[in-house]
Amino acid sequence: MKVEQILKLPSMPAASPSYPMGPYRFIDREFMIVSYITDHEMLRRVVPEPLEPNPEGLVLYEWIRMPDSSGFGDYTESGIVIPCLFNGEPVNFTAQMYLDDEPPISAGREIWGFPKKFAYPKLEVCSDTLTGTLHYAGQLVAMGTMGYKHKASPESLETLAKNMTKTSCNLKIIPDVDGKPKICQLVAYNLTDITVKGSWLSPARLSLTPHVNAPVADLPIKEIVGGKHFIADLTLPHGRVLFDYIKDQAP
Amino acid sequence: MKKNEVLALPSMPLQSPTYPVGPYRFFNRQYLTINYHTDPDAIREALPEPLEPVGDIVAVQWLNLPDGEGFGAYEAAAQVIPCTFKGEPCNFVSQMYVNNTPPLAGGREIWGYPMKFGQATLKVSGDTLTGNLHYAGEHVAMGTMVYKHDAFRKDWSAEKEMLSRKQVTLKLIPDIDGTPAIAQLVGVKFEDVVIKGAWTGRARLQLTPSVNCPMADLPVISASAGLHIVTDMTLPYGHVLHDYLVK
Repeated sequence: MKVEQILKLPSMPAASPSYPMGPYRFIDREFMIVSYITDHEMLRRVVPEPLEPNPEGLVLYEWIRMPDSSGFGDYTESGIVIPCLFNGEPVNFTAQMYLDDEPPISAGREIWGFPKKFAYPKLEVCSDTLTGTLHYAGQLVAMGTMGYKHKASPESLETLAKNMTKTSCNLKIIPDVDGKPKICQLVAYNLTDITVKGSWLSPARLSLTPHVNAPVADLPIKEIVGGKHFIADLTLPHGRVLFDYIKDQAP
Repeated sequence: MKKNEVLALPSMPLQSPTYPVGPYRFFNRQYLTINYHTDPDAIREALPEPLEPVGDIVAVQWLNLPDGEGFGAYEAAAQVIPCTFKGEPCNFVSQMYVNNTPPLAGGREIWGYPMKFGQATLKVSGDTLTGNLHYAGEHVAMGTMVYKHDAFRKDWSAEKEMLSRKQVTLKLIPDIDGTPAIAQLVGVKFEDVVIKGAWTGRARLQLTPSVNCPMADLPVISASAGLHIVTDMTLPYGHVLHDYLVK
């Protein structure tokens, strides 16, 4: 394999790259988001400076079903998102993510720093209940339940699509081959070309079980705020660096 | 979390790093290696410059790793191409499949081991040491070897030399804008290798073409020999052999 070919490879392995070049298009992506209030002190500990956690102590626990994702295939994801401020701008910080498909794990970690691990999330309608579960290393660590399409969201689908362009950010860490940090950045991206196909509000409950390698219960539930269920087509593009811990760090 | 604590994290995610700081010690690591003759043109195509091919023999390996510090218990399969770097004999690891996130993410992010998620198994079935690999639900590889036919051989120096040989990987990590951030040939040598047992014998190998697990792209012309090893060893950090981004 020639040097010119190597430099054009989108990812490892050279014999069959895990993921192609982005951006990535998702069709019929289905979300269930249960929002809750947690302990503010705990939130402060898991949000990296210079991000500021939201003062209300709000946390979003998500399940996302992705049946048709260009380059990635058919998979399901579950995780925790924390609304934060970066220099006064509202951003969503992804704290934990679990999924059942390797290309989006590798691409997620290596391009955008999504904190992804392999696990078995599921999102399905079980008789009258929209049900999300997450099994990590064989154990059930999270279960979210929501009433099924009790009420359409009051906002228009166009407004909901606009809300989804909010900046998201991750902490990207890639070590060097000698074990020192090579990349340590807060990176940001914005979803594009969003079409919301339906959105509903319903009562919801969330159960989180303490587990050391999938510590979803480290942000304890003080109060459930509500459940959101929506379906959208969208594009995940490349992003930008917000803060570089190696270069921007004051001595 | 404070900025200096962020810089000290070994890996993502912040709340439960996927892998701790290395090096990583393995106990009772079991290998089935099947060497086979393939097409030299396919080797040249699979081997990144400036690595140079040697001969027409490559290997498929199955690994059972019951006790990997920081990683846990898992199984793996790999395709390995013997080659040279500036005249030094090395093994280029061209494909790897594992069923566990810490070695998958740590392998890719630290050393550039070309790991994907696959279900490999290595076990003794009746009289046969048997390696299997399933990728995306389909059976893509099977290796079989006779079980401990040369049980009284005591000279394991060739096996120790093989395990201590430099491994080379092609580490590719994109930047957030999609351009390459890291494009390197990385070298790593296992340390403190203790051979607990080693056996050779007849073996056969079957590889099925599969687009996302393309071990059959180096076709099996004939299987030459099987090697079965049980070892303790340490996987240390590596070093950059060649940086494609530095002109």
